Amino acid sequence: MKHEFGKWPESCWQSDIIDWKKAAKITAGLDIGTTSCQAAVMCDGELFAYANIRTGADFKLAAADVLTKALGSSGMTAKDISCVTATGFGGGNVAGAAQRLDEIQCHGKGARYLFGKEVRTVIDLGGQTVKTIRLFGWDRVADFKTSDKCATGFGRNIEVMSDIFLVPITEIGAKSLDVEKDPEPSSTTCYNFAQSEAYGLMRPGYREQDYNDNEILASYLFTVAWRALSTIGKIASLDVGDVKLEEGVGFTGGLAKNPGITKRLERELGFTAMEPKYDPMLAGAIGAALLAS
Amino acid sequence: MQNFSQLFENRHEYAKEWKKRTGGKVLGFFDTYFPEELAYAAGILPVRIMAKHYADDTTDRLMYGNCYVTRDMFNQFNLGYYDYVDGLVSIESCQWWYNAFDTTMQMFPNLWSYYLFTPDYPDANRSKDVMRSELALMKGKLEEWTGKAISDADLDNAIEVYNTNRRLLRRIYELRRFNNPVILGSEAMEIMLACQVMDKAEANKMLEELIPKLEDREPYEDRVRFILIGSETYDAELEKLIEGLGGNVVIDELDNGSAYIWNEVIPMKDRLMAIGLRYMSKPHSALKDNVWRRRPEHIFELSEDFQVDAAIIAKQIYCHPHGTDMYAVWKLLQERKIPYHTFERDTTLPYEETRMGIEALINMVKPGMTRLNGWSS
Repeated sequence: MKHEFGKWPESCWQSDIIDWKKAAKITAGLDIGTTSCQAAVMCDGELFAYANIRTGADFKLAAADVLTKALGSSGMTAKDISCVTATGFGGGNVAGAAQRLDEIQCHGKGARYLFGKEVRTVIDLGGQTVKTIRLFGWDRVADFKTSDKCATGFGRNIEVMSDIFLVPITEIGAKSLDVEKDPEPSSTTCYNFAQSEAYGLMRPGYREQDYNDNEILASYLFTVAWRALSTIGKIASLDVGDVKLEEGVGFTGGLAKNPGITKRLERELGFTAMEPKYDPMLAGAIGAALLAS
Repeated sequence: MQNFSQLFENRHEYAKEWKKRTGGKVLGFFDTYFPEELAYAAGILPVRIMAKHYADDTTDRLMYGNCYVTRDMFNQFNLGYYDYVDGLVSIESCQWWYNAFDTTMQMFPNLWSYYLFTPDYPDANRSKDVMRSELALMKGKLEEWTGKAISDADLDNAIEVYNTNRRLLRRIYELRRFNNPVILGSEAMEIMLACQVMDKAEANKMLEELIPKLEDREPYEDRVRFILIGSETYDAELEKLIEGLGGNVVIDELDNGSAYIWNEVIPMKDRLMAIGLRYMSKPHSALKDNVWRRRPEHIFELSEDFQVDAAIIAKQIYCHPHGTDMYAVWKLLQERKIPYHTFERDTTLPYEETRMGIEALINMVKPGMTRLNGWSS
């Protein structure tokens, strides 16, 4: 049997408290990313159902699939949804979407739902990009910065690292923290080069003092965290009222579930991130659903 | 409008036809500091070499590490697109451009070539004198090459033709200043690009016919107004993308945009000094904006004059002059509370990432036209 350590668990959920038939307005948001897709269905502004799956090679298929999975056996069909909004890198591939919105607005809006109105800084650690969004207290984006076009150093690369080290992706963060001290960061976040470097570090005698696997992972995840840090630094000084950067920070995206990244970011920036109400990967989809009109 | 756009698409055919018609020589140049008036006065057609994104299997070995713009310039010579060019000029500019020039000359040694030194500190006391002496040297070399003496009358004519062209293109820019402009950024950029590969006298005739028609046009609907800053671009794809998302580039600070036409040659008895002064006092390129750092303030003035809502900074990947320049521009934009978005591009656009960033910026600044509402206050 082939082990695919980089595969993270897909999920779906429907509320057993909300009766969708009584809802005055049902909207859906689909966040079709390069690595993962999410669908969120909102009934009168409250989360009724969601699904979170891997995108695969076909955006269109993934978009149809994720909504079907979100609706599950709830009895709701696509026809019951008054408005579907798409976002994400593959957002143009959603059949039946009434509108397409940019990821920044959607993640900002979704983060306010996940973390509450106190959130002022959203750090979206995605499969291909990292986006840092600063929000005004009144539901509006104050500024944002994104990483450059190259995907180096984000979610997709952690999947690759999991496969190299034969460590399930859900455990990779904890293992990277199981070191006495963070070793030197790897010299690159590019996963092609980082793979070569990792293979080198795994070989006895490559360094004067050999790294164990956890230390190599720590070295790489430390570098990834640093890369995310650069986008945060660009807008850290932005004035959004009386709220400082370290207050009201929320992580979204797949890497928000990787403590190897989040704990290092918290340590470097000197804050403790807010806890989301639901899966932090849902921020974009929830935001899209809330912005659907 | 369409004439300019078609002409730009068929620029190689245009230059070949010009050569056939006039019997003149074509001189390729890269940089905006090249004093085209001198070549024009010698009866030469100066043609700006512009990058595209053709398949390339050679430059990686010969020009490793260069930006794609300069690599593609050499690549196009290699592919034969510039087979009608008789000579090539390089200016004291960025090292990538020099490398493109050097590599091209190594591979095509039969091309006439000239390296023109232009001072790196245009505002320095002696720069104008240095520039003048360099122009005198170049004038002599051009006379030697063409076998024709360049008279004062030739220089006066060239200065007048080029000044007229700048004035007419400036009028196109002025049409973009209105609240509901009659011309979009992409249309203006296509005109600008076409003018840089054309005989300016012919371009002027076309512009004189076009401008009254533009003035009578129905204005476009109100859009988010942008200033475009950054490395050179050789198409209007970015402007078109911005327009598709509900924005409009109303002004730019690009070497082959506004910086190409923003000031004129002020006629003087010493023609070479007059030309030299024009190039030394033009809006500085990122590479030559040394010590005095005039670019950020110039960018701010343009932003104010054209009432922009936000700035877009598009840097070519591996472009070190703009990589250095960006920090000063960011600082000023932050201080003056002008929202901006920066991204790196190749000669082509990374479409999805660019779209996401620009769409987010438009949505961020759109509600209530932010500058009036006190953005980030």
